[in-house]
Amino acid sequence: MSIAATQPGAGRSTRPEPSGLVDVIDTILDKGLVIDAYVRVSLVGIEVLTIDARIVIASVDTYLRFAEAVNRLDISQEKEGLPELVGDLTQGGARHKTKGALEGVGQKVRGLVDDITDGEEEREGSRRGRRGED
Amino acid sequence: MSSAPPDTESGAGAGEQTGYYVYGILPGDVELTEEIRGIGDREVRLVCDGDLAALVSEVELIGPLGTAEDLEAHKEILDSVAAGAPVLPLRFGAVVTSEDAVVSELLEPHRDEFAAALEELEGRTEYMVKGQYDESAVLEEILSEDSEASRLREQIRGQDADATREERMKLGEIISNAIAAKREEDTEQLVSRLADHSVASVVREPTHELEAVHVAFLVDEEEEDDFVEVAEDLEADWEGRVELRLLGPMAPYDFVGTSQEDQA
Repeated sequence: MSIAATQPGAGRSTRPEPSGLVDVIDTILDKGLVIDAYVRVSLVGIEVLTIDARIVIASVDTYLRFAEAVNRLDISQEKEGLPELVGDLTQGGARHKTKGALEGVGQKVRGLVDDITDGEEEREGSRRGRRGED
Repeated sequence: MSSAPPDTESGAGAGEQTGYYVYGILPGDVELTEEIRGIGDREVRLVCDGDLAALVSEVELIGPLGTAEDLEAHKEILDSVAAGAPVLPLRFGAVVTSEDAVVSELLEPHRDEFAAALEELEGRTEYMVKGQYDESAVLEEILSEDSEASRLREQIRGQDADATREERMKLGEIISNAIAAKREEDTEQLVSRLADHSVASVVREPTHELEAVHVAFLVDEEEEDDFVEVAEDLEADWEGRVELRLLGPMAPYDFVGTSQEDQA
């Protein structure tokens, strides 16, 4: 465990956006304390469905896709305001934040993930306080 | 240990196949102020041992873990807890055979390490800055900067895809490399601009071919406002070029780990 050090403080304010499922997958399957480094005897070897959230960064498919995107760029410039194309090109930013990233995750996740990408599932109830403090 | 009765109705027989799913390690002086439901909709509890506590819930050892609900439960529970107390998040999927083992084999033997790590994390949480290039913006940028790319663009314009496959491959490769170089530059810029307001940072591997930046920051409570403000400045600077997202505060997933894992 290695954490750099400075002084702890107080006062908390901002809360930016919630994580999408892709961010979740990315974070908790790959990060965090690994228990089997510590516990040997009583760890249960339960199977975990793992998902490779990585994509191959440079592949033939990627190259051809980029070339195709350049082509589309031409078309959208020539025929200004073609609605579908414009929508397509700007999709990266829109509401469906997970969409672009999900493409990278690929088929394997789909089955697991399908209907929850829109899930603003209420899982509140986790407010907590510290006992003998404050 | 005999508090929450398992909601199985399996009767008896095959032996009650339950284990203890461990979410994370907390200081022993915390308590849960509300009921939290965890993986498999089981109640989340604290197993306390002196100055440490483990956040656990029972889990049936039937199928594999890892549905979307499982994954989200794990993260949401840790993130909500992290908002009020330091926590060492465990990687998804840690299941221990018994509550005794949680204490005797997880907490007890590593008391000093865990306590020291929790102390360092006191008042700190993780933020994630993740950005994706706007495809058309970054392509325009590359085409205007790279003469070979714009030459190839002319060559494939309006041509049959199969007939110009080689040119397309070449163009795609140039773009892919150019994006990698931009990613590196932009990541450097992001990290250096936020350095004054963060304790540490970890650059994550890209998860998408158009990913611009993907960096985890450990942020002190008192720096949070400034941190967010600088991140927002950067978001404004990059508007139209990079869609920047700020995630957090969350449990410090990127800042705990076994000693062989490197850290920024």
